[in-house]
Amino acid sequence: MSAKNTISTFFSRYAVVIIFVIITVAAIPPSGLSITYIIQEIITRLGRNSFLVLALLLPIYAGMGLNFGMTLGAMAGQVGLIFAVNYGIAGWEGLVFALLVGLPISVLLGWMCGMVMNRAKGREMVTGYILAFFVNGIYQFFVMYMLGSIIPMGNKSIVLSRGYGIRNTLNLESVRQSLDNIVMLRVAGFSIPLVTFVVIAALCVFVVWFKKTKLGQDMRAVGQDMVVAEAAGIPVEKTRIVAIIISTVLACAGQIIFLQNMGNLATYNAHDQTGFFAVAAILVGGASVTNANIANVFIGVMLLHSMFVVSPLAGQKLFGSAMIGEYFRQFIGYGVIALSLVLYAWRTRKAAANARLSLRAGVNGNGGSGGARSEGEAAANGGRA
Amino acid sequence: MNGSNSAQGAQNSLKADKRKLIIRGSLIAVYVLLMVVMIFIGRRHTILIDNKDAQDGSYSAINGMEVSIDKLESSEYYPGDRDKAVVQGQKHTIKISIFDNNQMIEKTFTVPLWSDMMIISVPKLVAGIEPWIEPFTVAEQIEAAQESGPPAGEMSFQSLGSTVPEGTDQAAPSP
Repeated sequence: MSAKNTISTFFSRYAVVIIFVIITVAAIPPSGLSITYIIQEIITRLGRNSFLVLALLLPIYAGMGLNFGMTLGAMAGQVGLIFAVNYGIAGWEGLVFALLVGLPISVLLGWMCGMVMNRAKGREMVTGYILAFFVNGIYQFFVMYMLGSIIPMGNKSIVLSRGYGIRNTLNLESVRQSLDNIVMLRVAGFSIPLVTFVVIAALCVFVVWFKKTKLGQDMRAVGQDMVVAEAAGIPVEKTRIVAIIISTVLACAGQIIFLQNMGNLATYNAHDQTGFFAVAAILVGGASVTNANIANVFIGVMLLHSMFVVSPLAGQKLFGSAMIGEYFRQFIGYGVIALSLVLYAWRTRKAAANARLSLRAGVNGNGGSGGARSEGEAAANGGRA
Repeated sequence: MNGSNSAQGAQNSLKADKRKLIIRGSLIAVYVLLMVVMIFIGRRHTILIDNKDAQDGSYSAINGMEVSIDKLESSEYYPGDRDKAVVQGQKHTIKISIFDNNQMIEKTFTVPLWSDMMIISVPKLVAGIEPWIEPFTVAEQIEAAQESGPPAGEMSFQSLGSTVPEGTDQAAPSP
């Protein structure tokens, strides 16, 4: 492979990362923010978002693409937090309680999501996205009508004045940063929420360990080729369901960690963009629909959020309006997802064309025509003769 | 021979099923137990610390003192003061340091699990009058205050002013 081809492959593989690094670095000087401030913000946001983004890994290993259905887990986590606030359970105990409430709900939703996705093989991403809208309707019904009417809510301050339904915004003051503040390290002027990072590190260890287990290996096999995996005796559908259940449960825990850091819950729409931002982050980190690793998660969160930190101020300084930066944030988020998907489709098509050309060249070569073979190889190598 | 083998196999499978059921049952029990433990150790209560005279004159407010609950920051209280402390869990310790005689009092108390707000009357506690800790409900307090009516010589704020907003009687009727 020539140097030119290597560079071309590198750029097509990491196009999103490269574009993002350029935009972010270019936006730092006009934003006027100090590097210290940006680093502190990135540390905070790493703790806040990494767990949610890590939840996307297993479905990618299982060949199910980017799990937009993780929103279901986020909703389960929110239900858990609503109950923790209702019962007045504060501190880390409140977070554990929220997780214990959310866990069975997320398992159930994950199982349902897995079942649906097994009936829509090859279209998991769009299925997950639409399924999230469907379950959002059920969530709205549950929170808006059932809580306070069918399920009694003792804490009247979180219930709407009509007597049922939860208020639009819930103050999570009782659990606010309770995980982050268990041990807050001060290193060189930076605050590092140690326990949150320990939890994230534990999840990384789990992912690495899980990949080596029988189930993890099965997931890889299913992700590579479902037909071959089925022929090898791997229960493909069950494995896919397990991948989605684990992802949904992790999303539930991730949303609880996210919200405890934020300190308030927008009851009816906090989960709306959970999947969207997590997917954008992992793609910015260099992952693709079929390939992702732990490093992609951290690189992505750092890059995406450093852009989120600097873009509103850069927008204000450059265009005189902070809203430009906000629009830019949305535009970049969706743009990154679109660009990644387009690049993925382009690469897949190119790889298939190359494979076809190689095969044709091989057939011709076997036929004894040396000239045809060298032509085929040249085509496969991008037309270099 | 075959029959006895199959019977043994069935018995083993029954045993395995039973063991599986026991393990699953105990896992669910541990899960529920963990939730209950979280409620017990994580539930938050508001404690009102009161330093007021009794209406019947049975005890009087303490002239000056410092009160702290558990490891929370201590506060100074003077006659008529009332403040709050938010605590987590059920068992707590209150430490009172009276300025007049440098007396130190330490008491341990338990808050009922489902009680959101409790009131501690420090003068009662110091005088040894039971119960010095009682449940406190804002709604009940308002009700009681309304039932007893305004104290003699004082005017209820509800009676102040006209029921009709000022200026509305002069306003021209809308077409």
